[in-house]
Amino acid sequence: MLERRFVCSLDELPPGAMKLVDVGKFGVGVYNVDGSLHAIVNYCSHEGAPLCLGLIGGTNEPAPDEPGGIRRVRDGQIVRCPWHNWEFDVTTGQNLADPKRRVRTYRVDVADGQVYLNA
Amino acid sequence: MIIDANVQPHFRYNAEIRKYLPAAHRLRSIPDVEQQWYQAPGGNYREDLYGEHYPGSDRDTVARHLFDDGGVDYAVLNPLTRGNIADYLLNSRICAAVNDWLLDRWLEPDTTNRFRGTIRVNPEDPKGAVAEIERLAAHPKLVQVGVPMQSREPYGKPMFEPIWEAAAAHRLPVAVHINGGNGVDYPPTFAGHAHTYPGYAAFMPLNYFVHLATLIIEGVFGRHPDLKFVFADGGYDILTPLMWRLDTFWLSMRDQTPWVDRYPSDYLPAHVRFCSSAFDGPTDPGQMQRWMEFSGKADLLMYGSGYPHWSASSPADAADGLDSSQRDNVLWRNASELYGLVAQVEGTTV
Repeated sequence: MLERRFVCSLDELPPGAMKLVDVGKFGVGVYNVDGSLHAIVNYCSHEGAPLCLGLIGGTNEPAPDEPGGIRRVRDGQIVRCPWHNWEFDVTTGQNLADPKRRVRTYRVDVADGQVYLNA
Repeated sequence: MIIDANVQPHFRYNAEIRKYLPAAHRLRSIPDVEQQWYQAPGGNYREDLYGEHYPGSDRDTVARHLFDDGGVDYAVLNPLTRGNIADYLLNSRICAAVNDWLLDRWLEPDTTNRFRGTIRVNPEDPKGAVAEIERLAAHPKLVQVGVPMQSREPYGKPMFEPIWEAAAAHRLPVAVHINGGNGVDYPPTFAGHAHTYPGYAAFMPLNYFVHLATLIIEGVFGRHPDLKFVFADGGYDILTPLMWRLDTFWLSMRDQTPWVDRYPSDYLPAHVRFCSSAFDGPTDPGQMQRWMEFSGKADLLMYGSGYPHWSASSPADAADGLDSSQRDNVLWRNASELYGLVAQVEGTTV
């Protein structure tokens, strides 16, 4: 049963930040990705690590014409699991290697400068 | 139908190769095909084949053993060259001489139309290797490109890519096989030199995995959808655990090689085949069927006798313990699809 829960004021969750909300068995991480808010469960689909404690950053895509052969993209959108480095897109919950290995996402909304999590 | 995807024809005698070398290289020093540090204790070849000339050097005898006695319909000939010798230009001429000899002594006089051949090239001379593929690719009886297992760099590295590109453009699979002769090679195992032949023979074939892993991870298969590699010394018994490792590492470090856009093991069906080996597989044939299903090996494996090697195996040996569908795959179907060979001899059932 989903419940709308107060998280924090929007000022406390600037772009690039994450708030861990104590909800359910594992908690949920609420992220501000470039001004847009997203939430994923704090539980890696691989072996259950606290996923939201992982570093948030970007990922690489092929760039055959550039000297390094790869380029950084989706900065601020990709969380890396602290245990085995699996990458997840916090805006979709999808694992970047294997999209079938996803984590659960939740809806986040803002009212009067306050952030709410529906989890 | 039975297809033998791995047969090594030999020169009648060591110096026969000189007849096929151009004048500028004819008198150069060339390693003997038998000059290897590791030889089987009882001789490298089947005991009954020793005679005046090298075992496996008489076309009629080979045809009798394979086709009449063994029931084989087609045999893919993959001759050895003479090791990775330091003079890469000479080595390329040796490859060309082996190819001309194979055409002259084996493929063109063969009226049975059952022999197929390999275009041997020298990967240490990428330009020469591409030129050799272009010279011979149109020949209807040359069905693959051949390179040594021994290499100073894994075959996924970029300097080799033009060779694989040329092979793929002509829809020719690339067969990797342990070469004869002694060259400027690295040790035969990951941890150095073996003491005696059993250590060598058990571990040398496993080097294929380094070639395979780099072909996947460097993106070579991804860039060349038509490229196929045949690992002709077996070693497929270690395929599954090593692919598990590769898949696992890829899940964690995918972003370092983002051009690998699927599980490494997902490249196997379209790009990789193996020839059977007498040393591969479970020691208990009762486990064979289940073991063949791991990593989809039943679709990857082709019977290869290794004739005239001492450990040459018969079709019955290779099919021991398999179910009937696996048996058909291994004895002919996989090779038939790879090489485009169909039953053509009267009285032969498919």
